[in-house]
Amino acid sequence: MNLTVGQELPELVKHPTTRQLVQYAGAQGDFYEIHYDQAYAQSVALPGVILHGLLKAAFLGQLVTDWLGDRGNLKTFEVSYRGIDVPGRPYRCRGRVTKVDGDQVELDVWGEDPDGQRTTIGSAIVEMKS
Amino acid sequence: MSTTTSIVERLRARIGKGEPSTEATVEAGHLKRFVEAIGDPNPRWKSEAPPTFLVALVPVSMHLEEAEEYGKGWLNGGNRFEYIEPVKVGDRITATGKVADVYEKTGGSGSLLFIIFETDYVNQHGRTVARLRGTAIRR
Repeated sequence: MNLTVGQELPELVKHPTTRQLVQYAGAQGDFYEIHYDQAYAQSVALPGVILHGLLKAAFLGQLVTDWLGDRGNLKTFEVSYRGIDVPGRPYRCRGRVTKVDGDQVELDVWGEDPDGQRTTIGSAIVEMKS
Repeated sequence: MSTTTSIVERLRARIGKGEPSTEATVEAGHLKRFVEAIGDPNPRWKSEAPPTFLVALVPVSMHLEEAEEYGKGWLNGGNRFEYIEPVKVGDRITATGKVADVYEKTGGSGSLLFIIFETDYVNQHGRTVARLRGTAIRR
């Protein structure tokens, strides 16, 4: 497959639920109450329970590994959380090739809420198998 | 009641000092629960760890108790993973973390405290398999 700058990754849409946040809290071992206790979340000035940043990172990781398959290896993966996301709203993961240098390919990745706000932005470097 | 300046100073004294290491084995059952929780059905993750699994394997708490006098709550600012070798079921991983930086930023909506952590993950063969840099924010 020919990779060129500007190419978009097939998008991945996730439908997080409060149940998934509880499942993720258990699987990761992150029991910070803002992810499952509505009253607690509101007491620290949040609109309600919010997605774990690292759950959004996992979604974006899947975007990259689904696209990459066994064609190469992920070398670096970086995400920055710019906004909060709440369960019940679809989370759209997108990405684009930004640089192709021999076997090394760089990507921009981001997660969008239903308003089109990029609440998570990031990048990845992959090394394609020759 | 300490001032925010003294909290920042106290935390800055921890920069570069290693935290105690933690060890864990990658178990098939834990990996299965993790990939179910993130909703990634890729069969590859039956034996290999997906990109963010290490944070679940050896949770290196970035929520320093002594920072909790600052602000109301924690936010995760970002994470950067570097991968050197795949992590597989049965691997015994040792994670060693340290505080890499602490600083305060003041913006329109008030002050934020940033704590940067760096963690190295080493396998049973003594090889570093991954590194993680995380930004925890008190707001």
